[in-house]
Amino acid sequence: MRSKIKYLIIGGWICTVFSCDFLDTKVDTDLTQEILDQNRNIFTGLANAYYVPMQTGFYDLDGNFFAAASDEAQRTQESGATYYYNDGTISPDNVTDATSTYRQYYEGIRAANYFIDVANERGYEMLAMNRDTINEAYWYERDVKNLGWQIAEAHVARAYYYSELIKRFGGVPIVEDYISRDKSPGYQEQKGYDQVVEYIVSEIDKALELGLQESWRNDPDNYSTMDGRFEVKSALAVKSRALLYAASPRNNPNNDIGKWERAAKAAHDVIEHMSYSMPADRDYRSYFLGNNPTESDESIFLIRRNAENGPESSNYPVATPGGNSGVTPTHNLVSSYEYIGTPDPADPYAKRDPRLEATVVVNGSYWNGRIIDESPGGTDDMSRANASKTGYYLKKFLQDDLNLTQGASEVHVWVVFRYAEILLNYAEAMNRAYGPDAVPAGFSMSARAALTEVRNSASTNLPAVTVTDPGLFEQAVKHERRVELAFEDHRYWDLLRWNDASTVLNKPIEGVLVGKGSSGYTYTVRNVATRTFHDRNYYLPFPRAEVGNSNGTLKQNQGY
Amino acid sequence: MFYMNRNIINNLLVLTVFALAAITNPEAQAYAAGADSIENRNRIAEGTLFNTHRENTATAVSSVSGGRLYQTVSADLPNTLTGQVPGLGVRMGNGQPGYNSTEWLIRGIGSYTYGRANESKIFIDGFESSAEYLAYMLPCEIESISVLKDAGALTPFGMTGSNGVIWVTTKRGRIGAPQVNIKVRTSLQQPININKPLDAYDYATLYNQAYSNDNGMVWTPYYSDDVLAGYRNGTQPNIDWYDQILRKNANYSDVAASVSGGGHTARYNIVMGYSNHQGLLDVQNSDHASNLNMGRFNLRANLDMELFDIFEVKVDIGGRLEERKAPNYNIWNLFEDVAKLPANTYWVFDDTEGQNYSGTAVYPNNPRGSIRGLGWYSSRTRITQANFSIREKLDFITPGLYLEESFSFYSRSRSTYSKTKNYTRYNDGKTTTTDQDSPLTASWYNADGMLDWKQAKATLGYERVLGRHRLNGAAAFHISDRKNDGQYEYKIHYMNIFGRLNYNYDSRYTAELGFSSFGTDAYTGSNKWGFYPSLSAAWVISNENFLKAGGPVDFLKLRASVGMTGGNEAGSDFNVNGYYTSGRYLYQQYFYWNNTLLTGTSAPYVGNGSVAPRFIANPGLKPEKSLKYNLGLDVTLWKNLDITADFFLDKRRDIITIDNTIMGYYGNIYYVGNIGKMTNKGLELGLSYNGKAGEFTYSLYGMFSTSVNKIDYMAEPGTPHPYNAATGHPFGARFGLVSEGFYQVEDFDDKGNLVSGIPVPTFGSVQPGDLKYADLDGDGYIDDTDIMKVGNPYYSKMYYSFGLSGGWRGFDLNVMFRGAAGSTVNLLDYYSQFVTFMNNQNAYKIAQGAWAYYPNKGIDNRANAAYPRLTTVNNNNNYRNSSFWVRKNNFLRIQNIELGYEFAGNVVNSKNISSLRLFGNVTNPVTWSRLLKDYNMDPETFYGYPSLRSFTVGISIGF
Repeated sequence: MRSKIKYLIIGGWICTVFSCDFLDTKVDTDLTQEILDQNRNIFTGLANAYYVPMQTGFYDLDGNFFAAASDEAQRTQESGATYYYNDGTISPDNVTDATSTYRQYYEGIRAANYFIDVANERGYEMLAMNRDTINEAYWYERDVKNLGWQIAEAHVARAYYYSELIKRFGGVPIVEDYISRDKSPGYQEQKGYDQVVEYIVSEIDKALELGLQESWRNDPDNYSTMDGRFEVKSALAVKSRALLYAASPRNNPNNDIGKWERAAKAAHDVIEHMSYSMPADRDYRSYFLGNNPTESDESIFLIRRNAENGPESSNYPVATPGGNSGVTPTHNLVSSYEYIGTPDPADPYAKRDPRLEATVVVNGSYWNGRIIDESPGGTDDMSRANASKTGYYLKKFLQDDLNLTQGASEVHVWVVFRYAEILLNYAEAMNRAYGPDAVPAGFSMSARAALTEVRNSASTNLPAVTVTDPGLFEQAVKHERRVELAFEDHRYWDLLRWNDASTVLNKPIEGVLVGKGSSGYTYTVRNVATRTFHDRNYYLPFPRAEVGNSNGTLKQNQGY
Repeated sequence: MFYMNRNIINNLLVLTVFALAAITNPEAQAYAAGADSIENRNRIAEGTLFNTHRENTATAVSSVSGGRLYQTVSADLPNTLTGQVPGLGVRMGNGQPGYNSTEWLIRGIGSYTYGRANESKIFIDGFESSAEYLAYMLPCEIESISVLKDAGALTPFGMTGSNGVIWVTTKRGRIGAPQVNIKVRTSLQQPININKPLDAYDYATLYNQAYSNDNGMVWTPYYSDDVLAGYRNGTQPNIDWYDQILRKNANYSDVAASVSGGGHTARYNIVMGYSNHQGLLDVQNSDHASNLNMGRFNLRANLDMELFDIFEVKVDIGGRLEERKAPNYNIWNLFEDVAKLPANTYWVFDDTEGQNYSGTAVYPNNPRGSIRGLGWYSSRTRITQANFSIREKLDFITPGLYLEESFSFYSRSRSTYSKTKNYTRYNDGKTTTTDQDSPLTASWYNADGMLDWKQAKATLGYERVLGRHRLNGAAAFHISDRKNDGQYEYKIHYMNIFGRLNYNYDSRYTAELGFSSFGTDAYTGSNKWGFYPSLSAAWVISNENFLKAGGPVDFLKLRASVGMTGGNEAGSDFNVNGYYTSGRYLYQQYFYWNNTLLTGTSAPYVGNGSVAPRFIANPGLKPEKSLKYNLGLDVTLWKNLDITADFFLDKRRDIITIDNTIMGYYGNIYYVGNIGKMTNKGLELGLSYNGKAGEFTYSLYGMFSTSVNKIDYMAEPGTPHPYNAATGHPFGARFGLVSEGFYQVEDFDDKGNLVSGIPVPTFGSVQPGDLKYADLDGDGYIDDTDIMKVGNPYYSKMYYSFGLSGGWRGFDLNVMFRGAAGSTVNLLDYYSQFVTFMNNQNAYKIAQGAWAYYPNKGIDNRANAAYPRLTTVNNNNNYRNSSFWVRKNNFLRIQNIELGYEFAGNVVNSKNISSLRLFGNVTNPVTWSRLLKDYNMDPETFYGYPSLRSFTVGISIGF
């Protein structure tokens, strides 16, 4: 009682002498919940939040292409996280790229969960807030349409992130709730791989049911500046890849043919939606450069980046000022490009699948303003510090001759999904489900036709595959994926899902040693690195802390 | 060099003049040897609201006088606090002029975050002040500095009390004739140590070895024998870069003059001071370049007035002007450059005329060019602290009652001015970087930061002795409004209603109550306010009849206190998604514009900003709590031996922590909550003995403080093995792998792969000579599940000091030793001195102990290797935290030796001069340290600008 009186007296005095809000200082330099709830423009920032965690493949591993984890490429620098993959020493502590991916992709899922929740709760109401919806009807209705799409896109985003998560980790928890000031959901159950696949399918179906933009680029009502968000074809592509992975041997140990049929159907949905054809004018080299992917009908889903020269400075030969020989194509990859006609004994790189020239810088070719000469004493002498170990340099995705010392830069676009991949998904799944040539009811083309379409596109022009045995045909599809999708972050994951990694990723990496003979260059194939792949490496380990924090609800993957 | 000498000569001249004038005065009083020494501690315990005497003190407070601080020569006041006060652990800072880097902790670490969470508050004359103000106060303006340590002393500080309080009292005038005192001293300062890298020959020899190691251990020298010979015969560069930038010694001088006196109605104490602290850089001051320098003007005027027998008025004004000047290059970077630049990289100048500074793309900053070729930078700081208080003695209501109102403002502003230029870097006659020679350009006179701090306090107090009852109590209301730089500290407000009530019966029993009701603007709702009570008690056993009878015990007192304090700076240093919280406003849900989504069909693309939460708001957030217990003992034996001992226990809870146990599948979420628990305990001991043998008077003194903390809970992410966890260990304990020596040639098969059965390291491939670690969990892999505690934290567990002061006739001598123990150093934290070659690092003596095996070259260091095999490329296996790199850091220094002579009356023969003392002082002359011996590393300053040793002469004159 006494103390109460004291408070009363002293408190009263304080309030007279100083204003009573002396302890209510607040410096709102950030957006507050109130601002968020009253401003529809800021609100739309929430609809972008579930896109930004997506990663381009330019900087995935040691700030460079993920390809060096597989047999596609060799990292030139002696150290880096790449070697954890190469040596089979991945552990829950050292795969920081994977652990950041884990958290980052779940951040995308959180953003989608949050957006779906608040958009459904008060999104439409907000669009009308502080606004003359009669006179501004055009913009208002556009916003309403957008919001509908954005909600559907959030479902596609969730499906995309989960497909990327299970590709790496196998079964993961499905999280639809989020932590906020008012709630803190507990532990979420870890789901099996197939359960997550079903969730992905249901999310895509849900998005299609809610209604996605048909095509940002082609909508007559001028939506092309929003191209880059999910639309119908990208939603279908997410599903196609997810179901192909789900049907593959790693994830389908009993070889359930139904899963292959389902994967074939999903790929067919994309093909049907995209009107069955590769663009007639596709040029394999230029497709991957600059802004070109955004203009091509082959593209399905892309991640754009502002002008920069990271990929070039990382991967130009060290002899080019500013170049670092980052990841270099292996001879393992180069030797998989077919010969067209009789090989030239003097030049092993002549008369090859034209995609070789578009993907790999070989000795004697023109690159960075010079003829690359890797022989002793040449401009790109292989004995130079940090010169390519394999004798090759990367070309795909890279602009030629950017002046790095003057900071020249160029736009880069990462291709997440493109039509050729879907054709190959289709060829692989159809072959496993029905054989190379069958066209069952509901389908419009055979596995072989899809494969041929890839091999035969304008700049490729390769002869059709003729084998009839499904096993051999599958080898042809695998080979085609390796070549067509080189450096697009498919190879490592393909090897995993095919259960081929334990054979392929235990083989040594080959390169060529370039010499100079009396009649031109000589090439000696040699081993440049060993690789190790353990069975446990078929899945990546969960971050150590995540398992430790899970109170037993998250099981670490086998072997870690 | 000339500049420095001129400075010294000037100072010596001044001294000589004073000395000559002084010697003629016969009436000087004898200098009381050891007057400021440790024996005076705890006679009076200072504290907020009122001080207590030895008989009725129940709290744990230790103090030191300003005069004693003067005996350690340093430009920065905090450096002089080293070793002076039990319970105050001070880590001496380096000697860079104008940059005070001294760190201190009262009773160690209580809360498990570095930085502000453990910072003690500073109060000057009853108002909160700051470390920047304390840093350059003059010892002469300080009456005493007390360290408030236990709950009894700290509870009144409420939410700001948990880490202790440094309580500074400035000197006030005393009734009497005017007294003038002038003190002048001048020092030569030199680095305690410089850890120089290897010379060119040794560097290149080791590089050849490293290069060969990287080539499959096939001997392939990078530097030819001719080049190696060139380093020896001077045809190839072999540059000692430290010699290029440092002079042998530099000057520090200060003058302080004080005038004090007054009568019953008005008293005054005025202190003026000037000091000049010169840096060690070897550069002439000119319009184009400048050495490091700090000049300082201090003025303090403390006035007391008594009006109408009722009012006591105090007006205190402390002002300071700080002028700093430095080369236009970051000094930390300069020392980093010198540490990293191999001796054989290039000549100082690329041409023979000495016009063109050398520089390459890898080493673009030529250290000599950095201090001479870039111009200079200066700043001026003005600081004012002004206090006003008026006390009304209300004896007419009831005797002993008083009311006091006081007001304080503190203001700081800084402005900068620079003249800068650039120089072209050359190598082999070609320019190597984009830098170009540019003319000297003057900047604007720019403002650079401000602080306005207003405080007001109203106190109602009562002090009365009634027979055997002695009562002293006061309650106050304190309000603080600080406007600071920075986004989130623009406004910081708090209020504190607090009080102390001390009751003593018969000089035997004391009980003291303390409380604070503290309100802050950092939190919301009821969490803004916290209530903090304490109870202390003391029993003077020696005043009981059964001890009064005599014997060796002259004084014996037991003290005990328990109480709660709070810490509102916890969480200050968190950065959550770019929000530098300062621990404030975390109750508010904030969102921010994060990365953009790019869309569109042509470049440049449309950027669509995304919005995400900064963190999850926690409206329930409140300050951490500290429950403190203290048991103390004060003893005087045989009249001359004083002992004070304190044992304390500090239990923290609700420590503000980023919750790391939130599952990653909830996204990029931060949640800051009252999560952690910690225990800190320790012991303090102070001893002094005063003796006399004939004309020789002496005092022996010593102190010892230790504290040990333990993290009880911190929401640490689950670890696979108990020994991986930091919880249960002291905060900052070093974790790493356990080193088991080196891989030997026999550990590998023909192909260079590890023999099966040897655990496989997961940090990259290994070869002979790499570090081998223990596989603690036996899973066949060396990874982060194999880490455990491998060393004590950075902060010392123990601080101690001891010494002797003595006087004989006019002579006085003081020798003080100081040491610390129980901390460790992780050598890898000082990368540029311990990592060799990789990432363009240099090589030091330690690298000569590297594992190496080239039998054909006569190199075989396998058996006695003390460093992993050298490499020129990255090596994640060797250069990672492990027991291999952890070193114990224990040391003992002679902090100061001072010898003085006080001229007796018959020597000083002038009407005007009342006293004269001449003295010589050596500060930090000797250091015993393993780190210093083995690695040439000062145990308190591991890198960067060195800490200093000073040789000083001075004079003190009283009029």
